[in-house]
Amino acid sequence: MKRLGIVFVCGVLLFFLNSCAARQKNLFVLLADPDGKVGQIIVTNQGGSQVVAKPMHATEVKDAKAPPTEPFPMEKSEIDKIFGAALAAQPDPPAHYTLYFRTGSTDLIADSEKLLPEILAMIEARKSTDISIVGHTDRVGTTQQNYRLGLDRAGGVRQILVSKGVDPSIIEVDSHGEDNPLIKTEDEVPEPRNRRVEVTVR
Amino acid sequence: MRYLLAMICAFSLSCASFTAASDVPAGSVKTFKGMASIVRQGGIVSAKSGEKIFKGDILRTGADGSLGVIFKDDSVLSLGPNSELVIDDFLFSPAEGKLSFVTRMLKGTAAYLSGMIGKLAPQSIRFETPVASVGIRGTRFLAKVEEVKESVK
Repeated sequence: MKRLGIVFVCGVLLFFLNSCAARQKNLFVLLADPDGKVGQIIVTNQGGSQVVAKPMHATEVKDAKAPPTEPFPMEKSEIDKIFGAALAAQPDPPAHYTLYFRTGSTDLIADSEKLLPEILAMIEARKSTDISIVGHTDRVGTTQQNYRLGLDRAGGVRQILVSKGVDPSIIEVDSHGEDNPLIKTEDEVPEPRNRRVEVTVR
Repeated sequence: MRYLLAMICAFSLSCASFTAASDVPAGSVKTFKGMASIVRQGGIVSAKSGEKIFKGDILRTGADGSLGVIFKDDSVLSLGPNSELVIDDFLFSPAEGKLSFVTRMLKGTAAYLSGMIGKLAPQSIRFETPVASVGIRGTRFLAKVEEVKESVK
């Protein structure tokens, strides 16, 4: 009788473990964005389509032909158990900075110069190994001149970072000249907000 | 003469494949742990911080591995252990309106946070798995995918 009891308990346990494993086969879980906003995922296969719109809700998919299940809530502990390693490996999203320049020149305006220590601190804190610096101009001057000016502005910022000890091999420099304005203007219109360099620290 | 033409053809073809291989990077490795590597054109590169990721690369982790990548459009993607994911397409030229981000997850666990492509053109992001494809509307999500074993016929 006792043995039968043990067999029964084992059976129940096995059944429970099995159903757990089955439930965790293919899972798609929506999370809130780092800023708290919540988007949507739409999971689609030959069996149908399911929208998940609530954070920490998931849909499960048995195979390519079975319709995704109705979204169901998941406990944080359960999410951490399955996705802990992937979540721990998730890098912080890149940090962005915009530096502004005097007209026609590679001289930073005073307020932007003050941002430089912050950028350097971020590079240090992130242990960044991938930085991009993209130069932009307003539309005063020719397209070619402005491509060159954008490149010179970006090169100048690069020079400053390198002089403060940033490894030059991790910096990528580019120019969009006058082609990628923040504020759209007619040709030959000066626009201080377009005279900028965008720094991305990854 | 014909021989010369053939030579020119062969040369320009080899040039074309060379430019494809040296394409602009899609992103770079930011975090890694344990067994984590990148399969590129048949070769295997161990993951290290700053290692560039290109279209066509396969990201792979072992039993103790994890790997986190930041893409040029600010998308962030990380893998847990025993995972494999292919970067099928990545195009980020917002000025020319050329945007595309297609990944194919073969197995394991992944965490995904969409970036600028997600904001500018959510329909040009595709996240494929053997059992379903995931459409992404400006968001962060997790995926767990069981490896599909080749069925014996």
